[in-house]
Amino acid sequence: MSSTEFKDGLIKEIPNLRAFAASLSGSIQLADDLVQDTLLKAWGNSDKFEPGTSLRAWLFTILRNTYYSLYRKRGREVQDSEGTYAERMATHGNQESHLDLADFRKALAKLPEEQREVLIMVGATGLSYEETAEICGVAIGTIKSRVNRARTKLAELLSIGSLDDLGPDRQSAAAIQRVSTETVGT
Amino acid sequence: MNNVDSAMAAPDDGADLDAEIMLDPRVQESIGRSLKAHYDDIVNAPVPDKFLVLLAQLEATERRAAGASTDELN
Repeated sequence: MSSTEFKDGLIKEIPNLRAFAASLSGSIQLADDLVQDTLLKAWGNSDKFEPGTSLRAWLFTILRNTYYSLYRKRGREVQDSEGTYAERMATHGNQESHLDLADFRKALAKLPEEQREVLIMVGATGLSYEETAEICGVAIGTIKSRVNRARTKLAELLSIGSLDDLGPDRQSAAAIQRVSTETVGT
Repeated sequence: MNNVDSAMAAPDDGADLDAEIMLDPRVQESIGRSLKAHYDDIVNAPVPDKFLVLLAQLEATERRAAGASTDELN
């Protein structure tokens, strides 16, 4: 793989690296520092990348290790002083849909790190359970269990644990059911 | 590996399995959609120029180094 091919590969992955870094750190500024460190490390270690394997998985491994060794503490400090990116990013854009997104981000930020990272990797990045397990250095069963725990916790935080919380369609369906039950009762 | 052992031995693991069964597929779908919306929102944001500048600099430095070592050989 030539330097130019490798560089083009890195450029293509930058948007995903930013999204993953922001999900991990909870701060878009920290995310960009983290992406920059990841790109520098990747460039310095390009000989260790095996062509034909997933560049995204390789870069996520570097980004994640960098985050846990250098950024985790900083992330907390920034969140404490400036508020999370979830709260700050919620001020612009389409009002109604953004409100939902802002609520979701606040809930996501409340998940334990080990649950949040796997939920993002499995649910949004296109990485497989196998790749996610390899990146995190744990068994696939552990990943599945963390994803389940994360989903359940999110449903709880967003109060969508029951069907009625999902929207008016479900509520009217329930109302219809109540009416028909009452009709049968009389 | 410690992580695997502790996850398997976690006392709330049984409860999690129950929760998984209880969680309605529509709730799961709803979470999945929000997850994608959150992630794609950042993926689709413009990439700051500084990253492209950085990579161009790294490539240029490597070219110069390669050029210099070729010069030494000649």
